[in-house]
Amino acid sequence: MNSQGGISKAGGGGSSATATSSWVSPTSVSTSGKRIQREMTELNMDPPPDCSAGPKGDNLYHWISTVIGPPGTPYQGGIFFLDLMFPSDYPFKPPTFILQVVFKTRIYHCNVDSAGNLSLDILKDSWSPALTITKVLLAIRSIFTHPDPYNPLVPSIAHLYLADRAKHDELAAEWTLRFAK
Amino acid sequence: MLRNNNVVARIFQRQIQTPPPGTSVHCARRFYENLVPSFTIYDVECPDHSFRKFTDDGQYLISFSRNHQDLIVYRPTWLSYSYKQEDCHLPSRAKRFDSFFTQLYCVPLASSNEVICKDFFLYVITNQFGLFATSTAQIHDAPAIGGAIQGVPSIERITFHLLRLEDGVILDEKVFHNDFINLAHNMGVFLYDDLLAVVSLRYQTIYIIQIRESGNLVDVRAIGAFCREDDELFLNSNSQCMAVADKSKLHQSSGNHVDNGVHSNQLNSDNSFLSGIKQRLLSFIFQGIWSEETDKFQRVQCLKKKFYFHFQDYVDLIIWKVQFLDRHHLLIKFGSVDGGLQVSRSADHHASFFAVYNMETTEIVAFYQNSADELYLLFEQFCDHFYAMSRNSSYMNFISSHSNNIHALEQLRSIKYKASSLSQFVKKMMTSLPFSCQSLSPSPYFDQSLFRYDEKLISATDRHRPSTDHPIKFISRRQPHTLKFKIKPGPEAGSLDGRTKKVSSFLFHPFLPLALSIQQTLFLQPSVNIHFRG
Repeated sequence: MNSQGGISKAGGGGSSATATSSWVSPTSVSTSGKRIQREMTELNMDPPPDCSAGPKGDNLYHWISTVIGPPGTPYQGGIFFLDLMFPSDYPFKPPTFILQVVFKTRIYHCNVDSAGNLSLDILKDSWSPALTITKVLLAIRSIFTHPDPYNPLVPSIAHLYLADRAKHDELAAEWTLRFAK
Repeated sequence: MLRNNNVVARIFQRQIQTPPPGTSVHCARRFYENLVPSFTIYDVECPDHSFRKFTDDGQYLISFSRNHQDLIVYRPTWLSYSYKQEDCHLPSRAKRFDSFFTQLYCVPLASSNEVICKDFFLYVITNQFGLFATSTAQIHDAPAIGGAIQGVPSIERITFHLLRLEDGVILDEKVFHNDFINLAHNMGVFLYDDLLAVVSLRYQTIYIIQIRESGNLVDVRAIGAFCREDDELFLNSNSQCMAVADKSKLHQSSGNHVDNGVHSNQLNSDNSFLSGIKQRLLSFIFQGIWSEETDKFQRVQCLKKKFYFHFQDYVDLIIWKVQFLDRHHLLIKFGSVDGGLQVSRSADHHASFFAVYNMETTEIVAFYQNSADELYLLFEQFCDHFYAMSRNSSYMNFISSHSNNIHALEQLRSIKYKASSLSQFVKKMMTSLPFSCQSLSPSPYFDQSLFRYDEKLISATDRHRPSTDHPIKFISRRQPHTLKFKIKPGPEAGSLDGRTKKVSSFLFHPFLPLALSIQQTLFLQPSVNIHFRG
């Protein structure tokens, strides 16, 4: 599985890819690998509603997450796939990002840019090493129910959300129907 | 219970006895036991063309010139001659190709550097249209540019020509540039009624094209990067208000043939969205696992093992082959890129998957792995449903399959019980799905309820076969299992050199007792025999 590709993308800030292979043997698991495994156990013990996640192939640093569009939102009925990429020094704050979250399913949302990148304050300035994957998933799920139009990545969608909510929801539902079924 | 099976007795029988309800066609077809192509004209002098096939209505014999530039169409005519009382031999002037076939016309199809793909021909029976393909040479190590996938060869230009076979007028053309469509044995193109499904292997798109009565090829939809016909338009009109700079990356369409956006993540990490068909597929798999497991702890484990672990494998699957099941449903075969183009040979070693896709609702209806017993059982019991026939060709219903013919079923079962491992057997059987379009001859001499023959040497499937010097026997299924006729390809005396490898192909007329056998030996001119009822 293209673990190298995943990591080189994830480690855009020049981090070494040594952590990739070391997780295989439990005795030499790096700190970040141990942490991710612990969070995986925690996630499996108490999975949040309507979402799930797991490592893609045998690469612990590249996860796929699935969010089922929450009922009562224009995203209802959609299945959204997301890429989660962990830096090798997770959970500490590297120069570029904590955890890169990219939508693999098209979505009409003011906090997701046209390439699928998600902006979430806890993934940037409000990050604390005490946060976990479970909490990140909950935060991702909450943007479906409560978009944040005041910190938008796509200002036009945020503007429509504030100005004409019905039109926004109609469009978002149409996107869900076309691209997220 | 022995019945007299001579033709007079049968006609008499027909007069006095009504066949059991629903069997009148079957009873009428029994006359084919009496009317067999038992007479052979060896090494007939004929034009040096490569003969492709009889159209399924028996109206035309399609052939191509040796240089693969021209299409030559013949009308099969029934031989008529008279002879003197004593001499029962066929007059030598009757033993000619043109006493059986009248040339209707010869049309140049290929232009400039293109050649006719002689393995490709589809017949639109309702309008008597023929679909032909010409192409330029194949480039094997073509770079994967503009959204193309790695590892698939490229052909600079593939042209489909729609002809009215009545007079050979070219009605319409459709060109694919820098693409790859598997044209051998019609594999990459499927015709159902008036709908064509064309699989672009390079751009991973299924083009649905309608053949209008007026003779136009009209694009209906393209399934791949997007599912609905207006998805792309919708996205572009909506993304205008989104980041304008990204628009050029989202969509670069040129002409009427190349769609972009599939697998472009290798080139452009900004646009890593799943293609439309992959989104549908992955969400179908995900929902299946999600709803199958109701306990949420079990579910997490199940998703982790069955879904997330294989996520990239699913993403990397490519569309190999497609067939229609009806006007709305497509059976799509997905496999890995390294499954190789020689799918039929090596495919059983690679995992492949079958999806049933409804192109109207854009939903995946079912998804199976090629080792799934469930799919095999459907195939065993309802094989005829996979042979999506156009409604207008009633006699196509009589092509033998293991779900309409007890002998074919017995044969299949005996292979099944002999197989060392059931899963290997299932995989092997599944390599025949999706079926290739119009690859079976409707000739009654291949009807397994009438005749028994060695399927290794001859069958309804239109393929070249290794040839021996022994004639191929057609034996009556009914008591007393007499030899009804023989088909012997090649020269009458057999070839002088028994070691040279020879291949034969057989063209049977769909309903007349008339067949052509063409035996090819390396470097030699093929020898054509005409088999008919003398």
